[in-house]
Amino acid sequence: MAAPNLSHDPLEPLPLIEGVQTDKTINDSLLDHVWRGAGKGWWMLFGCAVSALGLLGISICWTVYKGIGVWGNNIPVGWAFGIINFVWWIGIGHAGTLISAILLLFQQKWRTSINRFAEAMTLFAVICALLFPLLHTGRPWFAAYWLMPYPSVQRIWPQFKSPLTWDVFAVSTYFTISLLFWFLGLVPDLAALRDSSKSKVKRMIYGIFALGWRGSGRHWAEYKWSYILLAGLSTPLVLSVHTIVSFDFAVSVIPGWHTTIFPPYFVAGAVFSGFAMVMTWMLPAREFLGLKHVVTMKHLENMAKVMLVTGMMVTYGYMMEHFIAWYSGSEYEFSEFFRTRMHGPMAPIYWLMMFCNCVVPQLFWSKRARTNILVLWFASILINVGMWCERFTIILTSLHRDFLPSSWKNYGPTWVDFSLFIGTVGLFSTLFLLFLKFVPAVALTEIKELRHELAEHDAVGGETHA
Amino acid sequence: MSGGHEDSGFVARRFVVAEFPSPEALLTGTRRVREGGYKDVDTHTPYPIHGLESALGLGRPKIPTIILFGAIAGACIAYAMIYFCNVIDFPINIGNRPINAPPANIPITFELAILLGGGSSFFGFFTLAGLPRPYHPVFESEEFRRASIDAFFLSVELPVGADADKALADVRAAGAMGTELVYESER
Repeated sequence: MAAPNLSHDPLEPLPLIEGVQTDKTINDSLLDHVWRGAGKGWWMLFGCAVSALGLLGISICWTVYKGIGVWGNNIPVGWAFGIINFVWWIGIGHAGTLISAILLLFQQKWRTSINRFAEAMTLFAVICALLFPLLHTGRPWFAAYWLMPYPSVQRIWPQFKSPLTWDVFAVSTYFTISLLFWFLGLVPDLAALRDSSKSKVKRMIYGIFALGWRGSGRHWAEYKWSYILLAGLSTPLVLSVHTIVSFDFAVSVIPGWHTTIFPPYFVAGAVFSGFAMVMTWMLPAREFLGLKHVVTMKHLENMAKVMLVTGMMVTYGYMMEHFIAWYSGSEYEFSEFFRTRMHGPMAPIYWLMMFCNCVVPQLFWSKRARTNILVLWFASILINVGMWCERFTIILTSLHRDFLPSSWKNYGPTWVDFSLFIGTVGLFSTLFLLFLKFVPAVALTEIKELRHELAEHDAVGGETHA
Repeated sequence: MSGGHEDSGFVARRFVVAEFPSPEALLTGTRRVREGGYKDVDTHTPYPIHGLESALGLGRPKIPTIILFGAIAGACIAYAMIYFCNVIDFPINIGNRPINAPPANIPITFELAILLGGGSSFFGFFTLAGLPRPYHPVFESEEFRRASIDAFFLSVELPVGADADKALADVRAAGAMGTELVYESER
């Protein structure tokens, strides 16, 4: 892959769909991985994922049985792994919505090959994220009336002026809308699955989920509007979700949290980490599921460019935080950013974050790095690590040393903290592998539509767009 | 295929199902069939085709209006809920801050507007489309399975007593490759 393709004219834009394709060949090649039996590789990955899922089960049971005292947090570090993981997972979800909704509104044709994949990630990442706020209540079955405005006999309502309550509404809306958007896009593909299935049982099962879709022109006319307007609604939604998550911190008075740059900087960071996660999964998936003709080098390059841009936004956010810490003249802010973070007990995590989030994406200035699969894969993993370290730095270093040195205390996570985190990675991977096995990983219908559009475009001989 | 039992009072709906070679042929074919006086015409394609709305003579889409009302309802419900909880049911005076604080109510109002707007888009669409509907007479055609894969179909529902042979000939004259007459099955 690193060798330059000499047959390709460098002045011609790279193709979005490779080879000579018809609706039939696209249909068959994109559904092939659903009909093919699961390979050894799939079962091995699935085994690992389910084992990690078991760990999640054990650590959830232990948390609920003993209480949240089994977690490492204690005053002054009242928030730790739970919220780090929550913010990290929610952030990962954001790339899905960016790809499916915002790039759709901007008519970026390359999004079509990766949107279904990324939307599924959104759903699974939000499920993982939602576990943490539920578990941190210690009694998850009470969470309904602690979090939701449910008329209980206590007559006390949630605090509607608190960003934590806003978060409940933002994240649950985000999950619901993402699910509806994903399923709406999936219905025509499920109909294609139903109609290309060989066995009666599969035909029935996919038929149930396809809801009797028959590609009616009357339906398409409303469908297109329903789909594009859901995208239109998702766009401000995704911006609002991470903005509200950042409010959880920004409206407090803790040095390191109390800053107005948080909303845009959190959103950029979310997209950055989300694209990295999509990349981490997309590279092996396109290899093993045979999706190379629709997820081409051009897609990978574009994703690398988005990571470069959002990575630099995140870097700018870091610079501004440090600048304002100095410029504000607040000694607590200054001490937080220039002493605690850089030289404190958690400094290695801080420097790892700086390396992964600011230095690593700079690789993508080079076209050779953007088109080298191994570089892309390792860089994307480093970025995932870096973004986790960012949330760790923001949350923990700010809390463990605040205004009063007598209340400073170090933090140490317990095995339950680690197990819960690894467990959610397992949950995410399990759901994702099941998705890859049973649902077309690429939006079939939209690819066919794109192929038709591109073919028409070529026939007219119009100028090609990059 | 049978036309149903005489004594049960069931009258099978009849459809002409016709395949067209390309999306463009389907567009012109649809126009011609409609000009021939057929009312209940529909197309079945694997992906939306530009220009089908006008070929089918459809009016403005209803979904945008539904979403607008859904979103407005969501915003109103959210604000009313917060107002009821904080002002009417359990007002708490904290440092003489206003009991009704509009800026603090914006996020939840916004989120519920999106939730109900998006929900009405999804459920509104399926209600308008009459889905889920597992059975439809056009599925009686074996060939029709390709309508979701790579083929472009036209379906015409024939009124009771209409001449099926004439309809088949008309559709073929409009450019169809293959035509078939299907009957709704009684169940």
